[in-house]
Amino acid sequence: MDYAKNMMDKLSIEQAKIELLNTAYANDRTAIARLDPRTLFLWYAFFGIAPWFIHNTIILAGLLAFTVTTTIMTKVSRLILLILILGLLGQGGYLLIASLFFGGDLAVLQPLLLLTVKLAVISLASITVFCSMSPEKLSIGLLSIGVPGQVSFSISYGYRMLPVLLEEYNHVFMCYRLRGKAPEKKGLLYWRMAAYFVKLSVISFYPLLLSTAKRARTTVEALETKGSKNAFTNPAVKKLKLSSLRMGGQDYFFLAISFTFITALFLLGHYY
Amino acid sequence: MQTVKERYTLTQSQKMMVFILSMSLYGLSNMITELVPSVYVGPVEFSIEYFAFIPLTLCILFHPLYAAIGASLGEVIFGELMLGQFGGFGELEKFISFSLAMYIAGIMVTDPKNRQQVGMAALSGVIIHQLISMMVDIGKVWIGVDDFETLPGLAESVVVVEGFAFFNDVLFSGILFALIPTLYFVPRLYGKIEPLLGMKPRTRENTHSTRGILRPKLVIAAVLLAFAAFGFEFLSETDLNIFEWEAPFAEQLETNLIWISIGVAAVLSLSILFAIISRNKKAKDRIAHE
Repeated sequence: MDYAKNMMDKLSIEQAKIELLNTAYANDRTAIARLDPRTLFLWYAFFGIAPWFIHNTIILAGLLAFTVTTTIMTKVSRLILLILILGLLGQGGYLLIASLFFGGDLAVLQPLLLLTVKLAVISLASITVFCSMSPEKLSIGLLSIGVPGQVSFSISYGYRMLPVLLEEYNHVFMCYRLRGKAPEKKGLLYWRMAAYFVKLSVISFYPLLLSTAKRARTTVEALETKGSKNAFTNPAVKKLKLSSLRMGGQDYFFLAISFTFITALFLLGHYY
Repeated sequence: MQTVKERYTLTQSQKMMVFILSMSLYGLSNMITELVPSVYVGPVEFSIEYFAFIPLTLCILFHPLYAAIGASLGEVIFGELMLGQFGGFGELEKFISFSLAMYIAGIMVTDPKNRQQVGMAALSGVIIHQLISMMVDIGKVWIGVDDFETLPGLAESVVVVEGFAFFNDVLFSGILFALIPTLYFVPRLYGKIEPLLGMKPRTRENTHSTRGILRPKLVIAAVLLAFAAFGFEFLSETDLNIFEWEAPFAEQLETNLIWISIGVAAVLSLSILFAIISRNKKAKDRIAHE
């Protein structure tokens, strides 16, 4: 019971909020975080797609080693890595057990391992790119590759509003708990309690829907007074927003190193 | 009569309101479902996959396109980006399939007061979304594993694992977190939430105006075609694997066929998206000119 209580403390809403802000803002001082967003997108365009079409073990292993290195350089929080590893192992293991059940043998193991490596390369590449960018940088970067202004606005809006919304949801939920009556019998495996909490968590959205509707209206009216409807489509505004972006020496250096590494790897994989 | 109809079309800022509302609420719910742990009973997973009732309710009550796109973007921003789980290109597939499913559910309802219609729309929204994601998941293993067909057991196991997850999600998440809450929320919010955004509630008469712009028949037909392309491909492949297990495969031909069908499906779905977007733009321009 003590253990459960400890877990509950760690899973509190406050803790979640702190963890989130850490993920967003904590690691923007690393070497990769200082790169231009366009460099990172270009890099990701290769590492996010290419592994699907490579079936060579040596090349895949090399790519995995490279993305592991970049991930270590970005100093991602351990929680995210743990979730990733568990997910990859879970999917691979599940498929392995199921295919053994259907009369396969251990020959399935090798291709499944390759598939897992591919997925790992892709996920690590996306962690490298997207966890190292701060939200401001990400939204400017997206704007620069032609994503509509509404999307980058939504990213900044999300980061600002999330703490407020989470707190409000927590309040409503607690109010329902105070006014309501928890089931007296816990039921087998606490199922009555679980059902009660699930029901509350769904019903809590009713007041929240109404209050968020009001808030959305206020936001849009505030945006209108600043002429945002025009700003989303005006090229001059976009130019002004993108003026902080600059490709520096470190960007070219990073791209050159990646390119050299990949070329060497492909040559190696081709001849062995 | 014409003037009355025009008054019901949404202005640009009203669309933005629907978009922001749907984005922030569905994003918040996503964050909550990510934090709630899942319970396994054997292979059956009792987890809260998503609170699909939020985008469903909003798509039924408001303009379906903006509510659907807002919800998908909210999921990407709150549920993935902020938790550090952003999957890059993988999110694109989720984005398209989820907004497509929610949009279709939204246009299925012509009268939000009709409970039967609302229930049907809620269930089919979830089924469409889960069906697309199941096919994509199977396709991933297909492309990712080199000699997929020659390995005994793998093909069946992928289909069984993914099919099982599909039924699990539809029966559990679909009924508990889409059907029942949507039936609870839509009648309660109808007529109450619209004035907060400065709009009139959707009725039988004014849904006509949005329908006229988007022509759901065309969209649905195109979507069905894309589905058929995916589905036939999928069926023919599994049949081959089950009945002619030892037959030597004309590998080159087969991989070519796979690529061709995937290409056709991709082209179809892209053209649908473009059609929707350009139609919308045209409609907007028309409104702006009038």
